[in-house]
Amino acid sequence: MKLSLGLLGLALSLNPGVASRPPEDPATAAVVTPRDSARHVLQRLAWGPRPGEIDRVASEGVDRWIAAQLAVSTVDDPNRRQVDERRVSLTIPTADLLDIYAARRRAAAKGDTARAALRAGAPDRPTDLREVLIDYASLTLDRQAMSEHQLAEVLADFWSNHFNVFLNKGQDRVLLRDHIEQAIRPHAMDRFEDLLVATATSPAMLFYLDNAHSVAARPARGARQARGINENYARELLELHTLGVDGGYSQADVIAVARVLTGWGIDPRTGRFRFTAAAHDRGAKTVLGVSFPAGGGEAEGHRLLHVLATHPSTIRHISTKLCARFVSDDPAPGCVAAATRAWQASGGEIREVLRAIVRSDAFWAEAVHSTKVKSPHEFLVSALRALDADPAHAPRLVAMLGDLGQPLFQQSAPTGWPERATDWVSSSALLARMNCALALVGGTVRGVRPTLLSTADLPDEPAALVDRLDQEILGGTMSPTTRRTIHERLLAATDPAAARQTAVGLVLGSPEFQRQ
Amino acid sequence: MSISRRAFMRAGTLGLLSLGADPLFLGRTALAARREGGGSGRTLVLLFQRGAVDGLSMVVPAGDAWYWRERERIALPRGDLLTLDDQFALHPRLGALKTLWDRKLLSAIHAVGSPAPTRSHFEAQDAMESGVPDRPSTREGWANRYLQLHDREHRDTPFRSVAFGPRLPRTLAGRAPSLVIDDLTTFGVRTARARGDTSMASAFESLYAGQDTGVVAASASEGFEAIRMLRDIDPGRLAPANGARYPGGRFGTSLRQIAQLIRAEVGLEIAFADIDGWDTHVNQGASDGALGRRLQEFGDGIGAFVTDLGPKMRDVVILTMSEFGRTVRENGNGGTDHGHGTAMFVVGDSVRGGTVAGRWPGLAPEARHEGRDLAVTSDYRDLFGEVLTSHLGSIDLTTIFPGHRAGPRLGLFG
Repeated sequence: MKLSLGLLGLALSLNPGVASRPPEDPATAAVVTPRDSARHVLQRLAWGPRPGEIDRVASEGVDRWIAAQLAVSTVDDPNRRQVDERRVSLTIPTADLLDIYAARRRAAAKGDTARAALRAGAPDRPTDLREVLIDYASLTLDRQAMSEHQLAEVLADFWSNHFNVFLNKGQDRVLLRDHIEQAIRPHAMDRFEDLLVATATSPAMLFYLDNAHSVAARPARGARQARGINENYARELLELHTLGVDGGYSQADVIAVARVLTGWGIDPRTGRFRFTAAAHDRGAKTVLGVSFPAGGGEAEGHRLLHVLATHPSTIRHISTKLCARFVSDDPAPGCVAAATRAWQASGGEIREVLRAIVRSDAFWAEAVHSTKVKSPHEFLVSALRALDADPAHAPRLVAMLGDLGQPLFQQSAPTGWPERATDWVSSSALLARMNCALALVGGTVRGVRPTLLSTADLPDEPAALVDRLDQEILGGTMSPTTRRTIHERLLAATDPAAARQTAVGLVLGSPEFQRQ
Repeated sequence: MSISRRAFMRAGTLGLLSLGADPLFLGRTALAARREGGGSGRTLVLLFQRGAVDGLSMVVPAGDAWYWRERERIALPRGDLLTLDDQFALHPRLGALKTLWDRKLLSAIHAVGSPAPTRSHFEAQDAMESGVPDRPSTREGWANRYLQLHDREHRDTPFRSVAFGPRLPRTLAGRAPSLVIDDLTTFGVRTARARGDTSMASAFESLYAGQDTGVVAASASEGFEAIRMLRDIDPGRLAPANGARYPGGRFGTSLRQIAQLIRAEVGLEIAFADIDGWDTHVNQGASDGALGRRLQEFGDGIGAFVTDLGPKMRDVVILTMSEFGRTVRENGNGGTDHGHGTAMFVVGDSVRGGTVAGRWPGLAPEARHEGRDLAVTSDYRDLFGEVLTSHLGSIDLTTIFPGHRAGPRLGLFG
């Protein structure tokens, strides 16, 4: 134990300026400032600090900020909703999207060129599905950058990834919007079981993982199309969405789950969930030792989802995953234990699980502060926030996120995007971030104004400017090397505007900004 | 306890990096432009057909009556087939590969694949790329384990292992460093200012030099070293040689740039590129159609690469792979669904070309995997292992493919 304490000290000495306990703890209040705690919560429970925000949260109280974030009732920020509602990707009805998609398929079947095939439909509404999809993706980035409901937006992203749907699979181009808006966002902070049921009846999911094509196996009649059950969704439901790969289920459970969920599909006319009794397997099944007697219908699926949502393996699996997202790639057992206790005590209320994680010692441990490598998505949104940008109409950002290696809603595998640093760090990934930083500060990204650069009271004197950027963007974690390098660049610069641009570009591309 | 452990791991990494004592980075001179006596090294090019290629359309078992029975709509017309021997033929769009076959530079392996029973793309890709099909959650890739085992010979170049694409493939994931390059011509730090302005690159380089940021700093230093070498060598000046014409699109570009790195003698040992679009559930077509177009791009790319490199193919082997094959019987939508065994290619001067290796299990229903798919008679690890030992001189396959008991040699090399 002495040995490990010594090593802990070594790690700390290599990382000056990291925060530890919340400032309310008298034992350590002397060495940790409220700003350190504010920076930490804005990096983990939000999409990164905007200029001035660390000071504001620190002075108003970190605990108060956390309580307010946990108390919000919907992901949608009421102050932003009116802006959102002017977006074509939110106003266009699902039925219209289905029409556009069907017209596109007809055009493609006739052999029209790909470009022409994208365009179809009435003149008074968007005809290009791509435009709608890019608008929706850029809306997502805009919400993450601008919403005051920051924790809710982080959770919405977490669940969008946990219940991943691949945008480019067939009609998921049409159905994904409703998956996020109607299944994920309304339940992102509430009861997990409701979220699970919402995703299990989400047409986008039913299509993505092929449950919509899964029908009860009938005695062969020589028909070529007699396909029987499709295990795809059943397997991922157990492996990814609930129990976890080591959650204690067998291949027989996968098949039984698939049989329970036969008939859960999509109404082709409306694009909504539909249970088709004729496709349902009415035989008896057993899942995880729970028996589902013969003759059951749609209700047995809901019973199954209840069993899964409340299963200890599910609680442990998802608590661990939440701790990995919010605390550390390899979360401390104490964090997971606190989260699972809160899960059990609250009946799976997500906001209570989050509250327990944020209250855990693990969340405030020195070793986790400013150490978690940002995903490309986290990098891009935190850079937009650091620049005080309002990316309301910036479709180019969607492509930029793709260039960074994490195209939004385009993870084809149901696993979602990985969380670990090693999955995101590579030579080209870092270069892509540096180039992205330079493009953002250069003002060449349409719809993104780096407001920070034109802030009136930003000092021109090099040392003062570096100090200010350290406080505003990095919360005071800038290393001596970074400080010296930027300072040298500033001394060599002649034009103050170009100097600012270079300095901010270097901060956003610095190693410190790649971590949170 | 876990905090302490994590602190130890971080401190350990940081200490090693700041002392420069990590063996994988040790002793590499900052401006090493090219390997001494360049061209002594060998290169293995890995091409992954992501999405599960229909091996039965790629290397057609024309001599198997079941092929014709089960594929009423999508069987390739006999007259179009590029006959290899009395049993197999190539897809008509693979003329470039037929030329390589005739020159004895190419062999196919049929009924090859993973023992993993999964029909999930990502599970099967993980199983194949990790090299541990019974533990597909293994994060490390088989090629990375090769690089770790043989790390002494190639430590003077960041270009030893290069993946072309946006992200590091699982095949190369692990402790040994790899470069990930989307496009050689844009690899670097770009500013709005004039081309050739390197001031921002050097500023970023100073930012990352000596920072205690573990994997971030290590990756950055690899990147900056690569940028400097690329600036010095300028592989872009190396236009395709011998009249090689690469197909348009990402795959052709990746192959062209791999050839540039080989010709620039930067010490490339393992190169990786993807080509997708093989998940042909619907209307895959026969001689023409969706699958034919993909195969055309695939074959033409490999053909151009071999032409481009000319005599340098003496030191190069191409190995193609895909996570599984597709159903023997066509489905109701003129396509094929996820299956099991498939076909792969090896190409190179040292390859004993002009053979279809592997035991053909036949397509009769009782010979199929689970009654519906081409059975796997050659474990992909035996194929990959043979390439590693014969071409790269690997000595310890049990570390690269842990838990695998090697099967009979396929005899792909002379």
